[in-house]
Amino acid sequence: MRQLLLLLTNLLLISCTPNEPLYNTQTYVFGTLVDISIYGESDEKAQAVATKIIHQYNDLHQRLHAWKPSELSTINQAFASGQTPITVEPDIAKMIADIAFLSSQSKGAFNPAIGQLIQLWGFQNDTFSAHKVDTESVKSLVAKRPQMSDIVINSNQIHSTNPSVQLDLGGYAKGYALDMGVAYLKQRQVNNALINIGGNIIALGQKGEQPWRVGIQHPRQPNAIATIALPSGWAIGTSGDYQRYFVLDGKRYCHVIDPSTGYPAQGMQSVTVLIPPQANAGVLSDVASKPIFIATANARVEAAKSMGVKHFLVMADEQDIQVSDAMQKRLSWLDTKAEKQLKVIQLD
Amino acid sequence: MIKFSRDRKPLLGDWLVIVIGAIAVIYLFQTLWSNAPASQLQIRQADKIIGTYDLNQTRELHIHGPLGESHISIDQGKVRFKQSPCTNQYCVHQGWLAHAGQVAICLPNQISLQLIGENKPYDSLNY
Repeated sequence: MRQLLLLLTNLLLISCTPNEPLYNTQTYVFGTLVDISIYGESDEKAQAVATKIIHQYNDLHQRLHAWKPSELSTINQAFASGQTPITVEPDIAKMIADIAFLSSQSKGAFNPAIGQLIQLWGFQNDTFSAHKVDTESVKSLVAKRPQMSDIVINSNQIHSTNPSVQLDLGGYAKGYALDMGVAYLKQRQVNNALINIGGNIIALGQKGEQPWRVGIQHPRQPNAIATIALPSGWAIGTSGDYQRYFVLDGKRYCHVIDPSTGYPAQGMQSVTVLIPPQANAGVLSDVASKPIFIATANARVEAAKSMGVKHFLVMADEQDIQVSDAMQKRLSWLDTKAEKQLKVIQLD
Repeated sequence: MIKFSRDRKPLLGDWLVIVIGAIAVIYLFQTLWSNAPASQLQIRQADKIIGTYDLNQTRELHIHGPLGESHISIDQGKVRFKQSPCTNQYCVHQGWLAHAGQVAICLPNQISLQLIGENKPYDSLNY
């Protein structure tokens, strides 16, 4: 009886706990929504830390802007005008070296050197709209073969051996910012937080007694298809044809461009990757989904393997949904119709 | 008075009760927990919370963003972007939201709608 009373008292205490110490803020950076949640800190500290992170993000965004004057656009101008090396900040040199490595790992499917193609398709614009693209222009830009391996880095001096190389870090910067945010949180001894930049999410610690939990958006409906716990250090990212796209003559053109054809990738609605804790988990959550998104149906698993991805969810359309066995173990499905269509891929 | 005996085997009726009960539990779990109907709507513009609104009403809201005015309709448990001054109209095409955790964002006009309920199934949305 005493134990029962004790239990009841405990329950009563739990239900009397005041509002949980959860701080949340949202703002717009990188042309998308940034959402930061911090758990277990005073509102004052959480706000100060989040404000500083957003400040860092605004700074990064300005430095890496692909179509407004920035450090990146200065580099692009130098690449276009010849092979005279240009001095860059150490962190940018490191970023470019890192991107070149990831690009070679993806066998060129992840290729931020195709800025000219992205511009041609109109995605280097805050308010892009449907427009016809000249097929000859696409062909000629693809034939120039801009690649990350054309860039030569010599400590902080860089140049490109190919003048058609134009960097657009739209598929990298958000992931980089996630890692940057986590580094700053740790520096300020914040142990529990969740950062979401345009749908790419990284977790630090957990929310009280529970791990952080995220929903995975359905590519064609306004609801989540599944939820997944994001333990500390894990990151999740999705490439979708529904985030930035336009429709022309009934055909959808999305922002993910296949560097080998010069055309927006077709026949894929969304690819979600889950990345275990590592130094660049945020970057990988942004980058690793792209090669899978672009790959043909029978090359997807290979593309995932080449990026070291063991957890992926691929929705080509409502009838063609593939999930790796490791990912499936972690998913809680909300959409029972989608769950029935699942094809589980055993990775060795 | 019904007497229970330990060696009595469950009859068809017992099984029916168990099966129907289990189905009811699964059904209720899926409809009420996983897709918990939302009770409130939070609207944010840029980094400000504009307000938290009861979803169970009929109300038209006009929120100002950098591009102009977005028109938001609340209609007895659901909400949508009715009009927005953005080029691609993704927010309008999202249609009605009714479940806790659902989000619609107009990025160009920096307005987000987020549905809040008793049992939010997740903390943040991956898209």
